[in-house]
This record gives sequence, C-alpha cells and structure tokens, in this order.
Amino acid sequence: MSKILLEARGLCVNYGAIQALAGFSLKLFENEIVSVIGANGAGKSTFMNALMGMVKISKGEIFLDSYPLSRHNYKIVRSGLSLVPEGRRVFSSLTVEENLKIGAFTRKDKTEIKNDYEWVFSLFPILQERLKQYAGTLSGGEQQMLAIARALMARPKILLLDEPSLGLAPIVIQGIFKELKRINEQGVSILLVEQNAKQALLLSHRAYVLQTGRLLKEGASKDLLEDSDIKSAYLGHGA
Amino acid sequence: MSFTFSTFVQQIINGLSLGSVYALIAVGYSLVYSILLFSNFAHGGFLVVGGYACYYLLTQWGYSVPFSMLGALLASGLTAVVTERLAYKPIRERTPITLYLLIASMGVNIIIENLFVVTVGGRIRALPRSTFPTGVFNLWEGITISSSDVLSLVTAVIFLSLLQLFLSRTRWGLAIRAAACDIKTAGLMGVNVTFLISLVFFVAGVLAAVGGVFLSVRYSLYPQLGNITTKAFVAAVIGGLGSLPGAVAGSLILGLAEMLTAGFISSQMRDLVVYSLLVIMLLISPAGFFGKKISEKI
Ligand SMILES: Nc1ncnc2c1ncn2[C@@H]1O[C@H](COP(=O)(O)OP(=O)(O)OP(=O)(O)O)[C@@H](O)[C@H]1O
Ligand SMILES: [Mg+2]
Repeated sequence: MSKILLEARGLCVNYGAIQALAGFSLKLFENEIVSVIGANGAGKSTFMNALMGMVKISKGEIFLDSYPLSRHNYKIVRSGLSLVPEGRRVFSSLTVEENLKIGAFTRKDKTEIKNDYEWVFSLFPILQERLKQYAGTLSGGEQQMLAIARALMARPKILLLDEPSLGLAPIVIQGIFKELKRINEQGVSILLVEQNAKQALLLSHRAYVLQTGRLLKEGASKDLLEDSDIKSAYLGHGA
Repeated sequence: MSFTFSTFVQQIINGLSLGSVYALIAVGYSLVYSILLFSNFAHGGFLVVGGYACYYLLTQWGYSVPFSMLGALLASGLTAVVTERLAYKPIRERTPITLYLLIASMGVNIIIENLFVVTVGGRIRALPRSTFPTGVFNLWEGITISSSDVLSLVTAVIFLSLLQLFLSRTRWGLAIRAAACDIKTAGLMGVNVTFLISLVFFVAGVLAAVGGVFLSVRYSLYPQLGNITTKAFVAAVIGGLGSLPGAVAGSLILGLAEMLTAGFISSQMRDLVVYSLLVIMLLISPAGFFGKKISEKI
C-alpha cells in the first residue's frame, strides 16, 4: 500500500448563504489518479479552489504528506500542487513561451527548468512550434495543452485538473487524456474533476461522486463504471 | 513664414517636454489600472508627496539634489504602497466591484491634499533655483530648449526604458504582465499577488514622484498640484487604458496638442483642445489607440 499524498477532511465552503461544499473528504495516494465527478454546480470547482487556497474553507482540514497544507495560494504552489483551472485561462496576451515561463515562477533550478521544457514539448509537440505565438490565438485544444504544460512547469507532486475536456472535440479529449496517463506514469499524481464521467472513470484509479457539496459514492473507477446508479445518472449519454 | 515655422518647432519641443512629464504620470496610473481595473485618483496625491519630499529635503535639511530626488521617489513609492494596504486592500478582499476602489481613491486624494494644506499650508512654493540647471540652449534661429526641458525629457526616457526593461526582462515583470491579463490565474502560478500589487503601486508611486518633481520645477509646488494628473488620466484614456505604450503615446499627443494650441491659437484654449480630443477619441474608438478590446477584458 502506497502512502497518502493528499488528504481533505470534512471540507466546508460557503458563498454567503450558499453552502457549496458540505463536509467533503477525499484521499489521494502517491502515483494515483483520482477523479471527482458530479453534475453542474455539484461543487467540483469549489473543491479544487479550496485545495489551491483560492476560496476560504469554513471548516475542515487539508494535509499534504500528512502536514497541514498552507492556506496561502503561493505557498501551496511551492509545496507541490498545481492547478489547470476550469476554462483553461491561459494568459492570452503573453506568448506560449512566456506562459510556460510563468508556470515555473516558483522555481530557481535553471537546468531542471530547461529539462522540463523538453518534457512538456515531448508531451505536446505542437507547443514547441507555437512558442512565439500569443496564447490567445491558439485553438481551444492547444490552449488546453498549454494550460496543462504550464501547470507541469511548476514540477508539481500533484497535478489538479478542472474539467480539461470542457468544450473540446472527442478526438482532442482522447489525445489529452492519453497524455495525462503518460504524465501519471512519469510520477505525477493526478486529481481530476470532470463532468465527462466516462472519460474520467476510464482514466482514474479511484473516483468520488459529488452531489450538491456532499459525497454520494466513492470507489474503484472500474466498479463505478459498472454501478447502475452511476450509469443512469452520469453515464447515460456518455460517448 | 519663417516665424511660424520656428514657432511650430519650438512648440513641438515644448510639447514633447510636457508630454514626457505626463507620460511618467500616465504610465504609473495605467499600470495600476491594468492590474486592478480601476482609476486610481490618489495618483495625484502620490505625486504631491514626491514634490514636497524633494522640497523639504533640499531646503530644510539641505541634502544634495540626487539624494533629495531619491528621497522623493521613496516617499512617494511608500505612500502608494501604504495607501494600497490601508485603503484598497480591505475593499479588494470584500468585493470584486472596483467602483468602491475608485471612490476610495478619490477620498485618499482629498486626504493627502488636505494633509499638506493643514501641515505646510496652501502657499505656492518653488524649488530652489539651484536645484536644476537653468541654462537655455539656442538650437537654431530663435528656437530654444531649456536645460530643465532637456533634463525632464532625458529622465523620462530613462525611467520609461527602465520600466520597459523591468517588465520585459525580469521574473516579476513577467508576473505583472500575466496579472494584467488575469490576476487570479497569476496567483495560481504561485505568484504572491499581495506582494505583486504592492510592487506595482511602488513603481507607480516612484514614477509619479519623478513627474511631481519636474512639474514643481516647470510650474510650482502647492497641495493641489496633483490635479494635473487629470491630464495624465486623459492621456492614458486616449492611448488606451491599461496599455503602457498607449499611455506614452497619449501623453505625447496631449503635450503636443496643448503646446501647439498655445503657440498658434491661444493659451486659454489648451484645456478645451485637450478635452475635445478626449471626447473625439471616446466617440471614435472607446478603447483608445492601444487599449484592450472590451471582449478581451471579459
Ligand atoms: N463565487 C461564487 N459566489 C457564489 N456562489 C458560487 C460561487 N462560485 C460557485 N458558487 C455556487 O456554488 C455551487 C458550486 O459551484 P462550483 O462551481 O463549485 O460547481 P461545479 O461542480 O464546478 O460546476 P460546473 O460543473 O458547472 O463547473 C454552485 O451552486 C454555484 O452557484
Ligand atoms: Mg466547475
């Protein structure tokens, strides 16, 4: 049994009167891919933002390597979490190269950073061809690749992805998920949030189903793929 | 005919000199706008702090010109940082609506202005004559340029180039450009956004102080001197809010327009022309020359 890398215990997040997370707990083991699936408004992005220190947690705790995780956004990135945000959010007025450079903002190890450029280019060769292009002029799929590459430039222990399939053609999604698998095989643990439940379950080892801020179900992804409730609620019209 | 031509050249020189001072002010103002998306009306206050700091360091405490200049830049930069921490940060953390920041900045401007009225009085002061070289160079057939014009042009070019180098070549410069694009996502990159905002205010304050000192030399020093930043605001809007090249271009256009109006029509028409330019620009192209398209901002 490998060790627990990240653990969230009883997270609560409120937006005014709305409770977006109502005591959600999750574990991520080393080298694991875990997905969180749920419908619109289930609280998936809120969970990711809570982990990254972008929203205030009203209750609950987060541990990384069994130490409490800082609540300061920039310290969290330093300690090894890196998020690919919902909707990609590449810096459109910066070039592809500058986007990658800012991804490595927290790092000082110049030669290692250089190797990581090579690493992300091996994952997404198209980025190397577009280095001097403004990120805003890339296609949606290319922007998603850039957003993932940018997050990888921080050399994270855990790569967090918030709906990487959003708005992309099935073939592009396939390609990106294949690279996610490779990234995981190269030693990066992955926490993936998706509405595209089928893709997420096919990729991940374990999964959590989130419904209006609470845990509905958790288990091995392959079991959830066969689960009749999940099938009817989340996989019904899947590709 | 030759009289008209030499007036023209003369006013171009004067316009560039004035425009370069506007540019120092407009660039800092635009930099803050690009990050926080509000018009910081306290920017004029920062400039006044710089002007008075320079004045007192020179006259009361007898420091040298370079040291007094440095003191002015620091005083103004720190005032900007403290203003942000005390007045804007608490608001930023409570609401995303930037209108509140704008209103707070108007309040801060009034506070700074009145602090000077109360403590040092409203009387108009002049920086000592010895401060800056006063010679006038005869360029060609009655066209002249004063040493202080040369100095303000050169200084503006130096500071604006330094800013450009900082933004394009350094790690924090890149972070600032990223934050101007999307500040929340810049935070996700591990940038300490609180520090970044302080840094931006410091830089804006320093540039305002340079402008403040040169304005004090060109005109004089009084608590309401900061009101002249309205011109820099106009320049920034004409150039395109949030765009630094735009702020420089807008400032030069404004300086030239003012001086050519003064030279060929009448000095009293200066402001009329300035604000007409603003209105025309807003009608033709609301985003200014270099402004981000509105769709890009959303
Ligand atoms: N900044 C906010 N202010 C107020 N309410 C919010 C805010 N952000 C999210 N919410 C609410 O919290 C709930 C959870 O939102 P969240 O974005 O986490 O859902 P999600 O699972 O990511 O949905 P989607 O799949 O559509 O991205 C929703 O009801 C949403 O309306
Ligand atoms: Mg979401």
